[in-house]
Amino acid sequence: MTVEMFYARIGGDYAGTKARLMTDERIVRFVNKFPTDGSYQLLVDSIAAGNAEEAFRAAHTIKGVAQNLGFTALFTVAEEVTEILRAGSLDVAAKMPTLTEKYKLTIDAINELNA
Amino acid sequence: MRNVLGKGKILIVDDSEMNRSILSDILSDEYEIMEASDGLQAMELLNKYSSSISLVLLDIVMPRMDGFSVLSKMNESHLIETIPVIIISSENASLYVERAYELGALDYIQRPFDTLVVRQRSLNTINLSGRQKLLAATGEDQLSKNEADMSTIVNLLMNLVEFGSIDHGYHAENVRAITELILSNIGAVSFKYKPTPSDIQNVGIASMLHDIGMCAVNKSGLKPDTDEAIAELQKHTVLGAEMLEKLKGKEDNTLLRRAAEICRYHHERWDGKGYPEGLKGDSIPIAAQVVAVADTYDRLVNKRLNKRAVSHDEAITKIMNGECGAFNPVLMIVLKSIADSLPAKLK
Repeated sequence: MTVEMFYARIGGDYAGTKARLMTDERIVRFVNKFPTDGSYQLLVDSIAAGNAEEAFRAAHTIKGVAQNLGFTALFTVAEEVTEILRAGSLDVAAKMPTLTEKYKLTIDAINELNA
Repeated sequence: MRNVLGKGKILIVDDSEMNRSILSDILSDEYEIMEASDGLQAMELLNKYSSSISLVLLDIVMPRMDGFSVLSKMNESHLIETIPVIIISSENASLYVERAYELGALDYIQRPFDTLVVRQRSLNTINLSGRQKLLAATGEDQLSKNEADMSTIVNLLMNLVEFGSIDHGYHAENVRAITELILSNIGAVSFKYKPTPSDIQNVGIASMLHDIGMCAVNKSGLKPDTDEAIAELQKHTVLGAEMLEKLKGKEDNTLLRRAAEICRYHHERWDGKGYPEGLKGDSIPIAAQVVAVADTYDRLVNKRLNKRAVSHDEAITKIMNGECGAFNPVLMIVLKSIADSLPAKLK
């Protein structure tokens, strides 16, 4: 799978990311770091624990990382979740399935990219 | 445009390891990178390495201490004046941007950021602030050169006043140097005297004029060392003070007021046996007390003023033992503490 195909698969913005980060080599290096970022798990755990503040920061980090890496689909839903949590509400049940789906899709695609 | 001031050190502050490593990757070719994962860690590093960090890239939303708090702390400690900060955030609400600028951030880069933009803005910010630091330093150099030049010229004129020729050594300049050294160290010995840097400077400059009254002393027709001659010479204190006090605008001029005070009272003694008024203890203005010590020391060691000049060690011993006057015990402690560094400060 090429980097471009990877981005097509996850609903990302390859052209924009390439323009910003400049080389495929650098993109792949960072894409490969994505699974090591614990923010998704922190988000899930914080929501379960009822900690809106921590959940906000975790969602915010996912949003920022996804934005930097051009993971547009994940970024879009992470942004929605972030804004709900920013207001102090934990009412994100409607959005979380999409976020989880996009997150898992991204992780699977990264595994395939490296296969 | 390249970095004009050598390889700088950049502190990257972001709670996401991913974000830090992306920035680090972009910048590590040109800069040495330090990382902090929240505001508290950032403040620790900033306090420790304040002199070597050339730029901070700062995230806003972070656990423990956020980016705004880091900016506030940097304001409190004035670090914001010397270390430039660029905010990197996915927040694009104008409220956030505005607040960051208000707190002294120099630039605001929004995510997703562009490699070239991060590189160029980092470089621009470092160069800009580096040039400003350089300019400030050059200004200070120029100022201290002007100060030194002024001292030299006042010294020549004071020689003319006291001896009638300019080539008579560096007594006035030395008195200034000793006076400033004593005042700079007095705070460490006593809580009673806390001169500010501008007090020290004012008294230092004013001290050069301590003998300006010599020009008004009637020296003709008196046999040296007679009671009459001594009484006449002693008038230089009051005469000097009076000529300064008559100057227009001296009410608003701290330097002139200090100079008048120093002229009048630099021959008073702590035990009340001095002249012209026989003031005792701290009723003698502290500036005059300090100049008295400085004057006494330089007259003891200065070969141009004293045919029987003594060594530095001897002079300190004589003053400490009360052989050459009676001084404030606090000033004696200060003199002892600075004694070793004195000879190097004098011309």
